[in-house]
This record gives sequence, structure tokens and C-alpha cells, in this order.
Amino acid sequence: MSAESTTAINRSIVDLLDFIDWSGVECLNHNTAHSLPNAIKQGYREDEGLYLESDADEQLLIYLPFTQVVKLHSIVVKGPEEEGCLIGPKTVKLFSNREHMGFSNVNDFPPSDTAVLTPDNLKGKPVVLKFVKFQNVRSLTIFIEDNQSGSEVTKVDKIALFGTTVETTDMKGLKKIEDNH
Amino acid sequence: MVLEATMICIDNSEWMRNGDYSPSRLRAQADAVSLICGAKTQSNPENTVGILTMGGKGVRVLTTPTTDLGKILACMHELDIGGEMNIAAGIQVAQLALKHRQNKNQRQRIIVFAGSPVKYDRKVMEMIGKKLKKNSVAIDIVNFGEDDDGKPEKLEALLAAVNNNDSSHLVHVPTGPNALSDVLISSPVFTADGEGGSGFAAAAAAAAAGGVSDFDFGVDPNIDPELALALRVSMEEERARQEAAAKRAADEASRQGKEEEPLSNSQDATMTDNTNNTAAETTEKTADPMDEEKSLLERAFAMSMGTSVSDTSMADADTSKATDEDKELALALQMSMQDDTKDPSNQSDMSKVLGDQSFVSSILTSLPGVDPNDPSVKDLIASLQGQPEVCP
Repeated sequence: MSAESTTAINRSIVDLLDFIDWSGVECLNHNTAHSLPNAIKQGYREDEGLYLESDADEQLLIYLPFTQVVKLHSIVVKGPEEEGCLIGPKTVKLFSNREHMGFSNVNDFPPSDTAVLTPDNLKGKPVVLKFVKFQNVRSLTIFIEDNQSGSEVTKVDKIALFGTTVETTDMKGLKKIEDNH
Repeated sequence: MVLEATMICIDNSEWMRNGDYSPSRLRAQADAVSLICGAKTQSNPENTVGILTMGGKGVRVLTTPTTDLGKILACMHELDIGGEMNIAAGIQVAQLALKHRQNKNQRQRIIVFAGSPVKYDRKVMEMIGKKLKKNSVAIDIVNFGEDDDGKPEKLEALLAAVNNNDSSHLVHVPTGPNALSDVLISSPVFTADGEGGSGFAAAAAAAAAGGVSDFDFGVDPNIDPELALALRVSMEEERARQEAAAKRAADEASRQGKEEEPLSNSQDATMTDNTNNTAAETTEKTADPMDEEKSLLERAFAMSMGTSVSDTSMADADTSKATDEDKELALALQMSMQDDTKDPSNQSDMSKVLGDQSFVSSILTSLPGVDPNDPSVKDLIASLQGQPEVCP
């Protein structure tokens, strides 16, 4: 609680959607018809019909690089409403600053945090993460290990990340200042 | 122009000794591999290709994915045959090699040459396929060689498990006159690369069609009989001319004695260099018809003649690395043909070859020991100047 207020003093917690570097986004084992932007992009993710779905089995590996260094506070993972949220994700492991992970090496190093999602979470309740582990995040890897019912396919309606930015130089900002002269 | 890293799995098991794909299954694979490497690199210079062998004592990676074609071709030369193909291990090792590629932005692709029987069962193949799909690896399977119980079904199961949006393919190459490379060029293995690669594929197809066919002149008599016949006839004429030229040179040498040797040599000096070698070689080697010499001869002569026929035959001999036997066959065929027909129209070519006749006759007369009144010399000069005289 106090952690939240201290951060609130300096900066407010924002949706980190704007800071995702889309050129480097990767997703493994997703069904090409139901791909990652459905779950993350503004507008897409609010649409019930658009979701991210796994392909060969129930695991998903999502890699999100950021345009600047961020501190990650909490995460919202929404699963599909129907079927009692049975095929939404259950165990979600988060790795910060690990590039190009594959399914074979997810178990090689400990995750920065693990979230076990309840059906409440899947309805939209944010999961607060270990803030201290996510102080200096350049990229985030989300590993969805299994789903609520153990079915072959996992569906994700929405993934939203909340946190704050760090004082990284924003090159676009620099340019604007120069233009004013 | 898709950026891709490819691992090629070659079958070098004992089954590859078979010659039903000429010259042997292994060399047919090697040719196909060189074509694939060329196509990949052409379609995108940053594409990398690696090679591993599945047979032998175990799966062995010859090169990790690299852009260096020379390295790949060098590895192809060192292939040896032995052992049994282990397709599951081969694919898994290929996947591992791709995982450690240097440029992580490249897509991953495996090309498997499945020539021997597959001893794994369907379940295993499906599991492998699922794993590949999960890691977004595409696979191209080339089914050739042994066609035993269940092999096509197993490979199809593998393809179905891996296939994601048609990025993976399965190609069956039956035995027959068409080489492995030819069938592959027109298959999705090449053409699915994107349209940059198809230019290369088209060029390769043209070269291959010129070189790899089993027929004498790169033209199928069934497809184009007139062209084939025309080529054959002109080849016979060429041979006959060469033989006659050789005979003439030999006769001149024997008739004029030693003086003719410097004569023919100086004659040679006025000709082009190729015909130089031709005349000298024919003089020495008429009694020694070795196959390779003949073909060299033919090529050199034909090069100086500049006929398109010789281009075809050169392409035939040069570009096809895999048809040495065919070349010898062609030569034997031509030799037997030219024994039957002796074309008396060799003189015209001889005179052309000798260049300026007056210059030659002046040399003849100026040589020491050559009496211009000698009847044989007179005959010679007359024959140089006059056209259609049969060689005595």
C-alpha cells in the first residue's frame, strides 16, 4: 500500500501500452488467426471477439520490448468470459530483460515473478507484481504455462501492463525543444 | 525476400549408394543442395544456410548457418556414405542449430532429404512436428529414394503437424530421367521462397535443362525431333571435318617430310591459337583417340568456329557435373556415327581455318628444302586455293 503511494507521489501509474516497441514484439505458439495484437492493442483488446489463442499446445510465449526503461507495477490478464473462464491462463511467469527466449529455456532461469491467476483476475482484476524485481525493465517475456482447465488451447482476451517510466531520455522530446528555437 | 536461416539435413546412409538418381543418390542430393544454397542467398543476401548429415555414426553438423557458399560447397565434397539415417535426431539437431543462429530476426526453416526408410513411427513424427510448430520452424521434406511401407504416410503426418499457413512443404521425387535438382526447382521448395528466388530458379532451370539431360545434345528427341536431328547432323559434320583436318595435317607432314613440320607450325602461327592446338593435337593424336582429348579437341575447335551447336555441347559437357557417363556415351555415339559418314565438305573449313591462302602458299615456297616445282607441293597449293577437293 505504502509502496503505491510513494510511487504515486513521483509519477502516476500508467498503462505501458504506449511504450511497447512494436517492431520487436514476438509471440511463439500462437494461432496465426488469433495473434498477439488482438490481446494488447488498444481497441482490439476491448473487443470480445478478438483474442489471442495458442496453437500446438496450451503454452504461449510472448516477448515485449519497450521503447524506454520502465518500472512494472501490475498486470491485467483477461480471459474469455464464456465457459466460466476455463480456458484462460493460469500460471503466468514473467521474465524481465531476457531476449529471445524459447520454450526450451523457460525453465533454465527463475522468473522475475510468477502469477497464478484466479477467475477474478481473469475478469479484469490486476495482479500486483513484485515491484522491486521490475525496476529496470527494457523487455518483458510473458510465459503462459497452462490454463485453468488444462485444455489443449489457451485463450487470452486482453493483456495490460501498468507501471511507471524511468527518466530515460526521450529522443522525440529533444527534437521538439529544438524546433521551438 | 524473406529473411531466413535454413538447415539442410542430408541423408548419407548406405541407401544412398544406389544409382537410380544419377549419378548416385548422394551426389544428386549434393547438386540439389548447391542449388538451394544459391537460391536462398540470392533471394536475400542475409539468408544463412547450414548443413548436417543424418547418417554415418550419428548426426553431425557440417556447418552452422552461414552466408558463405564456399564453405558449404566445400563440405559437400567431403561427404561419405555409411550408417543409417536417423531422421528424428537429425531434425532435432537442426532445430537446435537454428535456435542458436546469430541473427534472431531470421525465420527458421529445415530442409530434410528423406531417402532411406523412416524407422520411427507416426506418433514420434507428429510430436516432432508439433514441437517444430510451437517454435515456429518451417520444414520442407524431400521424399525420394526408398519408398517402403508407411514412409509417405509418416512424412505426411509430420508435415500436417508442422504446417502453419502452408509454410511447410512435402515434395515427392520419383526415380526417372529427371534429376533430383530439376524436380526440386519447380517445386515449392524453391518457388515458395518468394519471387526474388524465382529468377535464380529460372536461370538454374535453364542451365540444368541444358546440361543435365540424358540426351546427346541437351534436346529431347521426343520433344523436338527436328532440332535434335539438326544438332546431330551438324555434330557429325564437325567431327568429320576435324578428322579430315587431322588426316590432312598428318598427310602433309608425311609427304613433305621434316620440312612440313616447320611449315605446319608456321601455318599454325598465322591461325588463331585454338586451331593451333587443334592442328598440333590432331597431328599427334589421330592414332590415339582418347575420350577426353576428343572432347577437348571438339570444344576448342568448335569454340573457334563459334557455332551454336558447340555451345550446346559445351554446356552439355561443362555445366552438368553429374553426367560424366553421359558425356562419354555421347562421344562414343558421335564417334561411331562419324565412322559411317565422311563428309567431303571439309575443305571449305580447312581453307577458312588456314586463313589467307596466298600468304600460306608464299610461306610454303619460301621454306628451305621445299621445291615449288615439286608436284606434291603444287598439289598442296592448288588444293588450298581450290575448294572442293577430296583429301587423298
